[in-house]
Amino acid sequence: MTAERKVEDVTAVRMVINWLGLGLFALLGVAAVVPLFLIIGDVYIKGIDAINRLGGLWVFLTELPPTPFDERGGVGPMLVGTLYMTALGALLGIAVGFPLGVYIGEMRREKFANVARAGVNVLVEFPTIVVGLFVYAVMSLAKEDLNRYLLYPLSKTLSPVGGWISLFIGPLDGFNAYAGAAALSIIMIPYVALITASAYASIEQPLREAAYAIGGREFNALFVVLRKAVSRAVVTAALLGTAKIAGETAPLLFTAFGNTYYAPFTGPTGAVSLWIWYAAQTPYDVQIASAYGAAAVLLTIILTIFIIARIRS
Amino acid sequence: MLLIPYLIAAYGLLFVKLRWGLRLFGVFIVATIGLLTVMFLVEAYPIIARDGVAVFLEARWDPVRESYGVLQALAGTVLTSAVAMALAMPMALGVAVTINEILPARWRGMFGSLVDLTATMPTVIYGLWGLFVLGPTLQSLINYLPGGMMTSPYTLFTAGVLLAIMITPYAAAVIREGYALVPKPVEEAIYAMGATRFEAVLIKLRYIRNYILGGFFLALGRAMGETVAVAMVVGGNFVRLTTNIFESGITISSLIALQFPNAASYQYMVPALFAGALLLTLFGLAINAVAIYIIQRGQI
Amino acid sequence: MTMAKIELKDLRVSFGASPVITGVNLSIPDRSITALMGPSGSGKSTILRVLNRLIELYPEAKVSGEVYLDGQNIFDMNVLELRRKVQMIFQIPNPIPNLSIFENVALGLKLNRLVRGKKELFERVKSALEKAQLWDEVRNRLNMPAGKLSGGQQQRLCVARALAFEPEVLLADEPTANLDPENTAKVEALFLWLKKEMTIVLVTHYPPQAARVSDYVAFLYKGQIVEWGPTKDIFTKPRHELTEKYVTGRLY
Repeated sequence: MTAERKVEDVTAVRMVINWLGLGLFALLGVAAVVPLFLIIGDVYIKGIDAINRLGGLWVFLTELPPTPFDERGGVGPMLVGTLYMTALGALLGIAVGFPLGVYIGEMRREKFANVARAGVNVLVEFPTIVVGLFVYAVMSLAKEDLNRYLLYPLSKTLSPVGGWISLFIGPLDGFNAYAGAAALSIIMIPYVALITASAYASIEQPLREAAYAIGGREFNALFVVLRKAVSRAVVTAALLGTAKIAGETAPLLFTAFGNTYYAPFTGPTGAVSLWIWYAAQTPYDVQIASAYGAAAVLLTIILTIFIIARIRS
Repeated sequence: MLLIPYLIAAYGLLFVKLRWGLRLFGVFIVATIGLLTVMFLVEAYPIIARDGVAVFLEARWDPVRESYGVLQALAGTVLTSAVAMALAMPMALGVAVTINEILPARWRGMFGSLVDLTATMPTVIYGLWGLFVLGPTLQSLINYLPGGMMTSPYTLFTAGVLLAIMITPYAAAVIREGYALVPKPVEEAIYAMGATRFEAVLIKLRYIRNYILGGFFLALGRAMGETVAVAMVVGGNFVRLTTNIFESGITISSLIALQFPNAASYQYMVPALFAGALLLTLFGLAINAVAIYIIQRGQI
Repeated sequence: MTMAKIELKDLRVSFGASPVITGVNLSIPDRSITALMGPSGSGKSTILRVLNRLIELYPEAKVSGEVYLDGQNIFDMNVLELRRKVQMIFQIPNPIPNLSIFENVALGLKLNRLVRGKKELFERVKSALEKAQLWDEVRNRLNMPAGKLSGGQQQRLCVARALAFEPEVLLADEPTANLDPENTAKVEALFLWLKKEMTIVLVTHYPPQAARVSDYVAFLYKGQIVEWGPTKDIFTKPRHELTEKYVTGRLY
């Protein structure tokens, strides 16, 4: 009799612990996600207000940023910079990341492939400021030779095309958009590579054998026949990687450096993220407001890419 | 300079001899890491030649006298990471358990996407929010508690809390991956033995402890390397070594970010900053390597 | 008339839109071995998983009907109480591989607070391992991870794990399907010995095993019980044509 009662008590205690424990996990899980809503709310509330005060959306997207004494302004040059560098960085990121991913995913049996895979794993969440410093160091070293032997002659040959070409191609300053794009691509390459590798690795053997049988040349088999099988994962990786680098700041600090004017990409270039970094830390209200407006713009870009990527999958 | 022809060659090779083309891409990535380490050594050389390892063991930042030490930044990195990990690991476990055990199936995708979105948010926006919302809120909170004292909203603690929010999704992603790999037969065995759901969760977490460790190190690497958000809320205390997390401080990465713009005007500051970058690189390499090793060992 | 240990009344189970068990009535007598046999997909394993409510791990499964254990409806009981009395052995051995041999057997006892003190725990674990005929092989390496045992040893470990509960009912889901003849014989001998103390429900896809080991057998076909009764009768004088085809190997 006493034993039976004890059994029931024990069970009851275990059920209570069950509810408390699961409740704790749920609380922690929700706590991880609540700040997201707080931040998005804060950015949009203050950001939209700021955009309105600073001249409205069109002004904000096209005009130069406000000095501490202005009442109007925008992120025009920075937006252009972000779009250009993100596009270039993403292009390079996919162009190098995809074959790299194929290599470490398909040729797994090679010793060197495993070394490369280790390298990719190490780089994938590397401190981004270090990446920026690296590109800065390379840039300082290579700038002279690069300008003298490649870019100066190139820009001379291309000058008949029109004056606008010098906005894109020409001798590079120490800080320029291409260094920024390079840093961004170094961040994106490992990310795309890893997802590509696991997409290829998860192809079942029968399908792979069939692809080789039909495809003939290995190139055909891997890239044409198997394209459908991996394209979903790879495209998602490309989209999410782009969203990631669009928001990066640290790698641009010493590569693109920032610019508050519309200027050639061969010189210091602005980015929306850089502007937020700079303006938020000034003591001037109008600039802090423009930082919030810029944050709202940046957030919208990233959310859009993220939602597109999610809807596709 | 060599890069462009190299990449063109690699691409071209892809079409001719596929495997060798692919291998060149592999070489590229390994070479990048090697080059990176070498360049930093070269750039940091001047101050290491002049001061030896003192630059890593002392805490000072005196540009006028060209005297630099990064110990305070090292301490700051360690402290902010510690706070961040202490808060992030429980949340990451909470996320994994909530998604896999508590939420109804329909909500799991949505919740998982929210967690992933937290990881994709630009760090500078986290910094912005930290600067104007989190910092002041934490200061009020801590000062309200008896015995708590935060003289500035921007301290190592603020940075640690902000970091925790940012790195939780990374640890959570690895733990979720492990959780999904618990075999159904093992799950059946656990429940057949009369475990409550909570008890089953604890047994499963023990089963995937390799993934939990792996997630820990991945998040740690991320925490140590985060720059912008930390720089905006950590307080910018460059000169004094402090071990009180409720005081302003500095981390290696934020030191580099905040001081680099001045650095060109001084002779030894740039090398000192590169010395810090070298330290950060070594940490990043070591921690990521450990994380991968642990996850892979669990898989085999 | 003695009440059957387990009674199933009009049990129906469907996974999503597909029905798997379409109205099963069965009485399982105490202290005997009842075999459930039938071709693949007939629903045998599903019935077994209803008996210890493990079916609840599959949210797409819908169960209706009544199941009584000693007259009590198992769906009204606390599931932890049920599983203390009704234990299961699976087709593919599933010890928890990262836990030690000792911990695998002890886990159920510790979770359910069935023992008091380390000494009692050790005695229970030892006795369970002895009954499962594994004790001699592992007595010196109780702390070894269970994943390192051979298949046959792992299955006997799972048997020990179940026996540690001193259960009233033992459910066995094709327990020898993946074992070699020697281990199969050991498990069958064990069941014959255990039935003196408990009720055993054995799912098997191999009619000769049912013939060798069981006292009662139920023949299941496409979610329905075609015929059931004492083993001798079913195998020598089957009343239904399907049954006869199955036991003579012409139906699978």
